[in-house]
Amino acid sequence: MSSGPFTMREDHSESLSTDASVSKARLHSVLDTAVDGIVVMDDRARIILYNKACERLFGYSAEEVRGRNVKMLMPEDYARRHDGYVKHYLDTGERRIIGIGREVRARHRDGTEFPIELSVGEAHTPEGRQFIGIMRDIRARKAVEKRLAQAQAQLVNMTRINALDEMGAAIAHELNQPLTAIMLYLQAIKRKTDNINSLDDTFASVIEKTVKEAERASQIIQRMRQFVEKRDPERKPVDVSELLKECLELASLGDASQEIELSLEVEDDLPMLHADPVQIQQVVVNLMRNAMEAVKCASYRAVKVSANKTDTHLVIAVRDSGPGVPPELVPDLFKPFSGSKRRGLGLGLAISKSLAQNHGGDLIVEPGGEQGGAVFNLKLPLLAAGEAQPAERAETI
Amino acid sequence: MTIHIVEDDPGVSDALALLLASIGHETATYPDAESFFEVNPPGDRDTVIVDLGLPGLTGIQVIRWVKRLKHQPRVIAISGQSSRAIDRLLDGETADVLLRKPLQEETLLRHL
Repeated sequence: MSSGPFTMREDHSESLSTDASVSKARLHSVLDTAVDGIVVMDDRARIILYNKACERLFGYSAEEVRGRNVKMLMPEDYARRHDGYVKHYLDTGERRIIGIGREVRARHRDGTEFPIELSVGEAHTPEGRQFIGIMRDIRARKAVEKRLAQAQAQLVNMTRINALDEMGAAIAHELNQPLTAIMLYLQAIKRKTDNINSLDDTFASVIEKTVKEAERASQIIQRMRQFVEKRDPERKPVDVSELLKECLELASLGDASQEIELSLEVEDDLPMLHADPVQIQQVVVNLMRNAMEAVKCASYRAVKVSANKTDTHLVIAVRDSGPGVPPELVPDLFKPFSGSKRRGLGLGLAISKSLAQNHGGDLIVEPGGEQGGAVFNLKLPLLAAGEAQPAERAETI
Repeated sequence: MTIHIVEDDPGVSDALALLLASIGHETATYPDAESFFEVNPPGDRDTVIVDLGLPGLTGIQVIRWVKRLKHQPRVIAISGQSSRAIDRLLDGETADVLLRKPLQEETLLRHL
């Protein structure tokens, strides 16, 4: 070929394609095979060439756009400035987009704007300078990015709420014991003093007031507990395979450079799971992040997620190639505030376990070591066909 | 007529015994299920107050053991856990009475 990567003139000098029409036909078939939109314009921004993909992308046919200004494919704000851009480049040779490429917005015939990735090249032809624009529709990619960002934000939010819940429950439980003792002691002493007539009035009234205050503390704890307990999972049918795929995407966000081999193995024909997808996702992503942390220093770094069913349960296993869980950490692994990580509260596994249990399932660890890494098994009950959700429990006294 | 208190938290156990003694009950305390099983089984006029979250053998095992006795005492289960955790601990078993901590004298005495 003579000049530039993409000459538009009909070339008679080449010996390989002796027939000019063959060469031209070949060029057109190449252009029309391309998945990306390709537009060629002259130095006055008039459209010379417009391929099939563009027709799909913009809704105009090639005949409709030929010879017209390329601005028609742009939203108003870009269109207004485009002539200036072209002139600036022709005058100064300063490249703003040529050879660089960037994400811009395009405009369909019906007025809708959509994101594209635009790369622009230049060709010097006997007919003058021409510019080639290659446009890739990135709506799908954008949608995925947006969905992932939303899912992650939701996950972070859920983690916060659950951390508060778990902390509330832990505090309520820990404070309950001493508070129970205090109240019983006070009630015993109050009972004793009731029978002593000679006792100073102040003494009796202070005990009375102390009992009241202890009762107030107890009511605060009860309210806190009710608040924490009323959050039940929002169950709906969940496609396990889809859910886990998304978990892999979420877990790998921001960890692209760490070269950890993430894999997923899902048994065929798994039934739909009846669960709160956000909560389950939270548990799995949390387990995966722990696993990825655990393999960081290992020579072979892999995290494998698998899903299998038993007669009654679905088991999601997160297996890593790390050194396993040290035996001394195993007994307290799922207890709140027992984590060994410097960051965070050590609530991750405690929350994960209680989320699993709220679903009627459980989270169990196979600590590994010696032979291999740890495996965390998330077990969730599968409903038999036609079976309803378990009834609300009767209120206890 | 004895009230047997099986509770691992020494504060709760002692306070409970003190309060019940102050209203004229005879009490016996045990820090765990194992030591409760070592003494003579309670009679049908006795009461057993058992914490569900015992270390070692659990409160639920105490309830099952008591329910198999020929002369069954009354069983009051107590717990500081959340209602979901209590469901899991009970595992389908039932106590005559289930009280949640913090315990109030009034509610407790109603069931004695």
